[in-house]
Amino acid sequence: MPLTASVRLASRRIRGILTAVGKRGYFARDIARGVRDPATWMPETIRQMRTIGVDSIPLTVIVAGFLGGVTAFQTRYQLFPGVQLSVVGLIARQSIVLELGPLLTGLVLTGRVGARMTAEIGTMRVTEQIDALETLSFDPVAYLALPRFLAGIVMLPALTILANATAILSAWATLVLATDVRTDDFVSGLRLAFTAFQVVYSLIKAFCFGAAIAFVCSYEGYVTEAGAEGVGRSTALAVVIASVSILVLDAIVAAVFAPFIQA
Amino acid sequence: MTTKRRDELLVGLLLITAIALALGGTIWIARGGLSSGYPLYARFPWGVGVKPGQPVMLAGVQVGFVDHVDLIPDGTLGIAMRVQDRYRVPAGTTATVEANGIFGDMLVALRPVQGITGTIPPGDTVPAGTASPGMAVLLGKGDSIASNVTALTAELRTKFVDDGGMRDVRRAIGDVTKLLAQLSAVTAEQSKQLTATQQQLRKTLSSVDSAAVDSTIASLQAATREFAALAKELQTTNSKVQGVVDKVANGPGTAGRFMNDPAVYARVDTLLARLDSLVIDLQKNPRKYINLKIF
Repeated sequence: MPLTASVRLASRRIRGILTAVGKRGYFARDIARGVRDPATWMPETIRQMRTIGVDSIPLTVIVAGFLGGVTAFQTRYQLFPGVQLSVVGLIARQSIVLELGPLLTGLVLTGRVGARMTAEIGTMRVTEQIDALETLSFDPVAYLALPRFLAGIVMLPALTILANATAILSAWATLVLATDVRTDDFVSGLRLAFTAFQVVYSLIKAFCFGAAIAFVCSYEGYVTEAGAEGVGRSTALAVVIASVSILVLDAIVAAVFAPFIQA
Repeated sequence: MTTKRRDELLVGLLLITAIALALGGTIWIARGGLSSGYPLYARFPWGVGVKPGQPVMLAGVQVGFVDHVDLIPDGTLGIAMRVQDRYRVPAGTTATVEANGIFGDMLVALRPVQGITGTIPPGDTVPAGTASPGMAVLLGKGDSIASNVTALTAELRTKFVDDGGMRDVRRAIGDVTKLLAQLSAVTAEQSKQLTATQQQLRKTLSSVDSAAVDSTIASLQAATREFAALAKELQTTNSKVQGVVDKVANGPGTAGRFMNDPAVYARVDTLLARLDSLVIDLQKNPRKYINLKIF
């Protein structure tokens, strides 16, 4: 009967979702357990920080540079006549620091860093290197996932700060060189209604995004199956899930912390 | 350098740069500079809307920021301000809270007074001044004006529309229009007559012989000159006569005495009486006085 088939399908789907959540929960538990063995994860963490953080600087700066310039330029030409020009600085700062800086940095790094993570770990899985690590009494999660996770939650806030600063600088340069906004106007708008919590808010988002990218991509690589094709499928899936996770976390952080932005 | 060392160096550099940017940028945006500055204090009544981080302006220039705000139970707010070291607030300056832009942000405005020497020392309290009316006050005034205008409009409506005032005004306008038409007609008539008078005058003036007029004017001028000379001579004569009169009246001579001394008059009168009697006697008895012998 159609109703029974629908109910069976629904229950199968719900069971699948719960199973997926459970597996990820166990993975998170293994990551937390891996902290007890710093000799395993410490050396790899610095290397991952270099890969995730330092090697991503050029891409971050390029994205932030264009982001800041376009945001400021478009904001200027949407102002109604009579609105003070310092509003451009205010809107540029609010847009970049509160939203576009951490979000676009996270999305861009999902493609660069997340895909690489999934491919690395997935390749190791399909070539049985992870099984070899287990044979050698290495905790594979502590060796593979935990360093990436720690590198993600440390490096993404650092890259976000760099992106915010670059974007604001780019906004200033674009406005001063290409529009009638002067430096004084931009700086007074930049300082208008600014609170230090806005920077903290940006870092909270970056922290959550870094954790999401590292966790999702490490997990998808860890559970890769079926050879090279499986690695490709896992990589694509990881990027999609990580991107959606970033957007969902963005909304959750905004809902929780936005009331505290203005003191 | 090994790969591990290089990785550590680069990661450390990135982290330090990020931390420096975050802290330095936050302080620079929030405080308008990286130096701590010196404290100044002010007190304002509750409800002014001052918050930490808002700018402090001295004569329109940002010199610092609001450091913190204390709620005091007596109905005032204790504001602690941080002013950059390179600025000194002149003595006599007052502090007010004013709106900063149109988005509800506030600032503390320090208004200096000309002609007072000295500066407010660090840690001192800046007295509160009288703030210029903000948007809320202006909107309140606008509301009050609007309600007055509404009441006035209602009153005008009652007087002019409901009570027939407008009808009366229209009637009055019609009457004034008629009066203006009459005045116009009178003015036109007056103008016609004036034009005729002007033409007559022109005709009269044109018939006047200009040469005769010239000679008459010349004669008048000559007569005027002779009159002037005559007046001058009269003046001279008058002054001489006046001198004689003064002499006669006041002088010591016979005429003066004759004029002013009654005894002289009496003697002259007596003399005249004697002369009369002498003449009478001469006529009666000429031989008594005249004895003429010839040989």
